Amino acid sequence: MQVRPFLRMLASIAALGAASAFAQQPIVLQWQTANLTESQYEPIWKKTIAEFEAANPGIRVEPVLVARKDHWTKFVAASQAKKAPCIVSVDLTTAAYNGYLMPLDKYWNAEPASWRHAWSDDMLKASRWKGQLYGLPIWGGTYAEIYNRDLLTKAGLDPANPPKTIDEYMRWSKKLSGADHWATAVLGGRTDTTTRVLLTWIWANGGEAFNADMTEATFAKDPKSLAAIRMYLGMAREGLAAPAPTTTNYLEQTNLYAQGKIATMRNAYWAIAKVVGDNPAMKGKSVVGPIPANVPNAPTLATVTASSISSSCANPDAAWKFIKFDAEKKWAIERARVANWMPLRNDLADDPAIKADPLLEQFVRIGQNARSYPLPHPLWADIAANDIVDAVQKALLAPEKTEAIFRDLDTRLTKKLRDI
Amino acid sequence: MKRSRRTRHAVLWLVALGALAVTLFPFYWMLNTSLKPAAEVFASPPTFVSAHWSLDAYAAVLANRPVARYFLNSLVVAVGATAISIVLAALAAYGVTRFFPRGALPFVLFLLFTKMLPETLLIIPYFQLMSDLSLLNTYWALILAYSSFALPFSVWMLIGFFRSIPLELDEAAHIDGASVLQTFFRVILPLARPGLVAVALFTFLIAWNSYVWALVLTTDSSMFVLSVGIANMVGEYRVQWNELMAAAVMAALPVMALYALLERHLVEAITAGAVKG
Amino acid sequence: MARAAARSHFRRRRHGYLFVAPVLLFLAAVIVVPLGWAFWTSLHRIRGIRVSFVGLANYGQMLADDAFWHSLGVSLAFTGASVALHLGLGLALALLLNELRFARTALRIAFLTPWMVAPAVGATIWLWLLEPQFGVVNWLLQAAHVVSSPVAWLGEPATALASVIVVDVWRGVPFVMLLMLAGLQTIPAEQYEAAAMDGAGAWQRFRFVTWPNLRYLTVVATTLDIINTIRHYDIIGVMTGGGPAGGTEVLPVLLYNLAFRSNRFGEASATGVLLLVLVLAFAVVYVKLAKLDRAGGG
Repeated sequence: MQVRPFLRMLASIAALGAASAFAQQPIVLQWQTANLTESQYEPIWKKTIAEFEAANPGIRVEPVLVARKDHWTKFVAASQAKKAPCIVSVDLTTAAYNGYLMPLDKYWNAEPASWRHAWSDDMLKASRWKGQLYGLPIWGGTYAEIYNRDLLTKAGLDPANPPKTIDEYMRWSKKLSGADHWATAVLGGRTDTTTRVLLTWIWANGGEAFNADMTEATFAKDPKSLAAIRMYLGMAREGLAAPAPTTTNYLEQTNLYAQGKIATMRNAYWAIAKVVGDNPAMKGKSVVGPIPANVPNAPTLATVTASSISSSCANPDAAWKFIKFDAEKKWAIERARVANWMPLRNDLADDPAIKADPLLEQFVRIGQNARSYPLPHPLWADIAANDIVDAVQKALLAPEKTEAIFRDLDTRLTKKLRDI
Repeated sequence: MKRSRRTRHAVLWLVALGALAVTLFPFYWMLNTSLKPAAEVFASPPTFVSAHWSLDAYAAVLANRPVARYFLNSLVVAVGATAISIVLAALAAYGVTRFFPRGALPFVLFLLFTKMLPETLLIIPYFQLMSDLSLLNTYWALILAYSSFALPFSVWMLIGFFRSIPLELDEAAHIDGASVLQTFFRVILPLARPGLVAVALFTFLIAWNSYVWALVLTTDSSMFVLSVGIANMVGEYRVQWNELMAAAVMAALPVMALYALLERHLVEAITAGAVKG
Repeated sequence: MARAAARSHFRRRRHGYLFVAPVLLFLAAVIVVPLGWAFWTSLHRIRGIRVSFVGLANYGQMLADDAFWHSLGVSLAFTGASVALHLGLGLALALLLNELRFARTALRIAFLTPWMVAPAVGATIWLWLLEPQFGVVNWLLQAAHVVSSPVAWLGEPATALASVIVVDVWRGVPFVMLLMLAGLQTIPAEQYEAAAMDGAGAWQRFRFVTWPNLRYLTVVATTLDIINTIRHYDIIGVMTGGGPAGGTEVLPVLLYNLAFRSNRFGEASATGVLLLVLVLAFAVVYVKLAKLDRAGGG
């Protein structure tokens, strides 16, 4: 065995390593959101970065691509080492509570009032923690009920008149279910989408899962909430929902819908784009209705994604510039048009591009009575993806124990909510 | 007598083929899916052979993602880790077998101890360490990490291997006037080649396939390795199965080729190292 | 004369240290330092960048938590079943391959392939195979009339655990097979000939020739396998993430979830240390058995 070739090899490897470490740019902003790896969003963000860099020579934006399921892991690891990307979109309350984000008030207050008015107070409330603003809301998704027009007609139901009450919805579901196709899918997989859909059911029945200041959980304590949970999870047992609910997440749900195995799905507007991408034959086949509710004015759920600056960012001024640029009307419209992400600016309702899309208009209308999500508690990311999901899964596997399981959840959550 | 042996042989072959089918079926399905058009992936009943097989998914992956760059990164990291592994493991194994013939146990225990640590426990502190050394987003961070995973088993295997090389050779070289280092490089190392090849294969495999560490330690997409590149193709909101499988096939092929070429050495080394160790 | 011998002995030892030093220093820096940090973390309560010292409270909390003990149980079940199957099937395959001479190399490489693919990639493939509605396994089982309706493999705790065990066996058998094969090839042919001359049948040959020769190797393989399997994360992490309802939440998955989903780094580190202690226990058993077997004349 010769020594010299070895050493040569080691040296060249070291040189390669050094070279990549020494490559530098004037100001480099790293940008990390889970959506950068979504294929429908890619052309948009590439354009956004290109135009921003052209307008701001001396600043470079470097996207950090990471699979959605590892997005939070990577962000946390980097934040703990104080090396997080400058611009991030993460669970705001949790990240702010943990000290990972920088308050944006000084930038926000320096902007002209006319610019700031594009965001309603409600919208901003979702991005505040302990009175300070930690993110600029960029886009969101309103949850509604989406129906497959063809499957409805085949079952003898009228797509122009979707069900308004839960009882009507159940009647429709029975007609839409058969041996190898089902009305809908119950989401019981291990992501927070499970919690989102569960909350819409609870609110649609006039129930509450938490008390007003989020110091107590009332999933089982509130009888309307418990009744809603039973109705929703019961659909799996009664054959009205696709089998294997404990492994059904957004991906499986939209797959089933795209392949015509389920007739309805409770989802946001972006699900339609995803379904058409999976199965082009589904274009134009979906109709939208409000979430069937047993009480008047039941709110639906609207997710809010905000852009934030991490607390370890070395160039917050430049980061704010990019966030502002990304929040401009033009990109909001692009995102809505191509990726079906709803804009959160309130000055776009009369924009012709928005008005030209009847589905989007419907979602906007439904979204006018919505509660923002994630719920404002620092442990929300943990609770929504772990504790609540665990309870849902246990209840799906042992339906007779539903009440006991959710009472247990209430106790555990109440303890956790106060432990901050 | 002959007939029973023949039937016995036939039965053994049947069993072997059955086991082979179960072992290889996932790869066959991976290949099958990678060649299908996207629409056919969800077809029910699933198609085992398709008239529409094409290399489109491969072309799409190569066009949309810098696969060549991922390959290069994986290669550099794997080769680097292998180089360090071989050098350090050979030195250590030689030292232990020649100079501590009876006192190897504490050393082996230390190695075993390092091998027992759960990886997830070490991710954050390791990230901190690399960050403090300004080694984030460099090949070095991954090379060092992967070498450290592979070293314990490599050293252990080489110790067994070096033990089978008689001490008399050392003494003969010493009498001829060779220094310790010369003995190591000129006399012993060439004899240890199968063992070194085994260490190389083993380390290469670990470095090529590891995911979580590369995920955390590299943020610049130009530094991504193959496993990270593949994982990025799984969005929670969309998975192009045929493209994902195409990427997985491309990632698995180099390792399989390498092993096919050098498998003989692997068995030889394990025989010497693990069996008699 | 004695002094010269003593001097040369001393010189030899010193050289030995020089050879061994690089590995020791390297591992110390790259592993021991982060390990120390992990220990330190386990003694603190960490909420983001706010840290407070809490002594052994995290350990107390974990040991009092049902989830930890449940996880330990799942770990032991998973490891026990996996390792037993690795050994049984690995040995069986090795014996089989030892008998077949035709296309031996090709067969060996074919059986080795699951080991060469990244566990995360292998798990992803299996995830696709086991998909309830669109996966091919369910279709095959229904076509063969083994089941009447699609099985939600990963949807129920029992079948989920069985599924991840199957995938881990698929991944882990090749390496054990290789070790056993190597072992089989070192058994001297004379021993078999002597047994044949004594009129021993196939089972007796296995029991009195093959097995005694393989015993030491089996102990080594088992211990290594237990250590590897009990800390394995990738397969379960990719396929189930510990679900459903914690049915497949082995200790490494619990650790990962605590650290990266719940962001409780103190508790996660404590769990990691407890896992380490468990693995150490197995290692001690290995050392005892290794010494015993060596002394017994292996």
